[in-house]
Amino acid sequence: MELAFSEDESRFRAEVREYLLSNVPENIRQAVYEERPLPREWQVESQQVLNRAGYAVPHWPVEWGGRDWSAVKRAILVQEIDQNSIPRPLPFNTALVGPVVAAFGTEEQKHRFLGPVANLDIWFCQGFSEPNAGSDLASLKTSAVREGDQYRVNGQKIWTTAAHKADWIFCLVRTAQCERKQQGISFLLIDLATPGITIRPIPTIDGFHHVNEVYFDDVLVPNENLVGEEGRGWDYAKYLLGQERTALGNIGFSQRRLDRVRALAGERSGEAGPLIDDPAFRRRLSWSEIELKALEITQMRVVASAGNPAGGADPKTSILKIKGSEILQDAAELLLDALGPEALTAGFGNPLPNDDSQGLDAHSSILSAYFTSRKYSIFGGSNEIQRNILAKAVLGLGSKR
Amino acid sequence: MNFDLSEEQQMLADAVGKLFEAHARDVDVDPGLKWIGYLELGLLGRPFAEEQGGFGGGQEDIMLVMEAYGRTLGTAPYLQSVLMAGRLLALAGGTAATEALSGLLDGSQKYALCLFEPDSRYRWDKPMTKAERSDTGWTLSGEKCAVLNADAETTLICPATTPEGLRLFLIPPGTSGVSLRERPTPDGRVAADIVLDGVEIPETAAIGDPADNGELVVEVVDGAILACCSEAIGAMEKLLALTVEYLGTRNQFGTAIGSFQVLQHRAADMLIALEQARSITIHAISMMDAPPAQRHIAVAAAKALANRTSRFVGSQAIQLHGGMGLASEYPAGRYFQRLTVLETLFGDSNHHLTEMEKGGGLAAALIRPNRPNRVRSCPAPA
Repeated sequence: MELAFSEDESRFRAEVREYLLSNVPENIRQAVYEERPLPREWQVESQQVLNRAGYAVPHWPVEWGGRDWSAVKRAILVQEIDQNSIPRPLPFNTALVGPVVAAFGTEEQKHRFLGPVANLDIWFCQGFSEPNAGSDLASLKTSAVREGDQYRVNGQKIWTTAAHKADWIFCLVRTAQCERKQQGISFLLIDLATPGITIRPIPTIDGFHHVNEVYFDDVLVPNENLVGEEGRGWDYAKYLLGQERTALGNIGFSQRRLDRVRALAGERSGEAGPLIDDPAFRRRLSWSEIELKALEITQMRVVASAGNPAGGADPKTSILKIKGSEILQDAAELLLDALGPEALTAGFGNPLPNDDSQGLDAHSSILSAYFTSRKYSIFGGSNEIQRNILAKAVLGLGSKR
Repeated sequence: MNFDLSEEQQMLADAVGKLFEAHARDVDVDPGLKWIGYLELGLLGRPFAEEQGGFGGGQEDIMLVMEAYGRTLGTAPYLQSVLMAGRLLALAGGTAATEALSGLLDGSQKYALCLFEPDSRYRWDKPMTKAERSDTGWTLSGEKCAVLNADAETTLICPATTPEGLRLFLIPPGTSGVSLRERPTPDGRVAADIVLDGVEIPETAAIGDPADNGELVVEVVDGAILACCSEAIGAMEKLLALTVEYLGTRNQFGTAIGSFQVLQHRAADMLIALEQARSITIHAISMMDAPPAQRHIAVAAAKALANRTSRFVGSQAIQLHGGMGLASEYPAGRYFQRLTVLETLFGDSNHHLTEMEKGGGLAAALIRPNRPNRVRSCPAPA
């Protein structure tokens, strides 16, 4: 048992921090700190800085750019990226499509995609959810019918983050009707420039454009874009759940928010005095700090545990998802309360044409962050689904609903 | 970072688990015999340095011992006699304290630190109990309360205020002017309220140095608080297991009630809370060798969360057990009683949040020490 970070781990943390702070431009870090929408080219620039140092895809196989670092070190890396206001490597690329292609793709697919995916030369978005397939994802209906050397794809995906910025989409599609709905699903890579694809923005309560509907109308996709075997897409999606877990707790992100809460609540010196001096507000901040410190250790316990079943997901990761989202939401509430009425007139929901920040400034982005934070307990398996997993897989309780 | 038990720690955990489970089964065995079990397993000397006659175990070892103690609802005075009084004797040093410690290590003496006083809540740094100079030493007057495991055989360590600062006095059993009223605590242990009425103490019974004693007590209490957190975690672990077992076997409406989602989610929330409490305790353990101010903040954070979790897990376990949860003969209620005692010992959540905030909050305690691996030697477990 070694409950503190080792010297080697602390040195790694210092190296990472030094590299990040001296290589990622200040304007990008400022935008991340203020939680303003990032222009695509800033995201790309930043990921390329990370990729040069091996920080974008350290969890990948070494031959495709991965590093043989311990899970604890990778968790330290993510925490430093978040805490220092560096844009995270695009998760759709690095945490989702990349590992699936590396594990199940053909040699040709690996050569074609993995390098550009790591370097964000190709931007992928994720086509999983459908209007009637959310928590019950296996009910998805988007169909891909084989016609010679291509698939004909018809259907609709929804909540597709950044589809409007993306070059490609990886989709779960139905290639066969089977008795079990988890069967007959395939994993397909689709170039968004293909004719028949329509992307429509979904306006959201947080006031900026990030999610979309993606429609497929007789879209023709070459067979060579199928990943792995036809009909085994569900297995690959499940494989993803067992993959990189070092970021699930959002430790550095919540830490950054709480630091900002302290700054905002401490600096305001008007008639009302600094909010940090209000005992009730201070106490809420204290509880959040405690829960976050505890989650940091829980995160390390999950990633460092030697007994992880290979390939499968450790069901305790559901704790990270639930607590991580709750703390982020608490932190957003504290941020909003710290700003007070000034948040209301600071430009929210008034996007100017060609404005990369979509009308959001340092103040209005707080209100936006507050609204958008509701998503953390919904996406990637809602917190209710996560509690089902804990009850069944960890506690062994019965399965009737 | 590595959270796996070393081979040696695993052996300790197994041996302690076996011993404490046997103790829990044999309710009628004389407490003195059980204490010999602690002695034989090397537990009495565990937290003390080898040059003091101990085995140099760290707070990780204490965690393993106290988790097992909590799982089995132990009643032996380990926290009080070894982790509080014993550690204070070890830190104070000097002839009287060293002699007293050797009596603890050979199993012949038990000690109790009299920390709490009426109307003082958790302010033990400035006791109302006063000590005045007499011809032969000191005269003590005051009241102490809720002294865990203190009985007529126990040597008391009484903090008292003097003009030079905080002094600590050893009071052997049977000393004239000491009246001790033993009361059962709800969790199967005893605690005493004590009146000191002009108690005459020889000069040699004053241990430590009034300039340092306050800090020594804070250090000892910080360690004891973490031991309590570990005990609570062990107790909650077992209580959650009992609850899950009950959910799986209790049938209503033609099915096990554990198949109802609302109850599944409650149990999941108990698990989440428990793992978070375990993590914040681990964090505080990793801070035990940090500078005192940082250590104190980390310990306060751990106790605040362990308290809140104890109340949540305890009360929800009762709820999920229905009426059975309230029946004394069923174990769930007894675990809730133990958790409630632990919550009340050394300060409720509000007290510890205030301690944490006075020190600048957890953000002020971010610096983590890099500790070398400890080298330990200890007797092979029986």
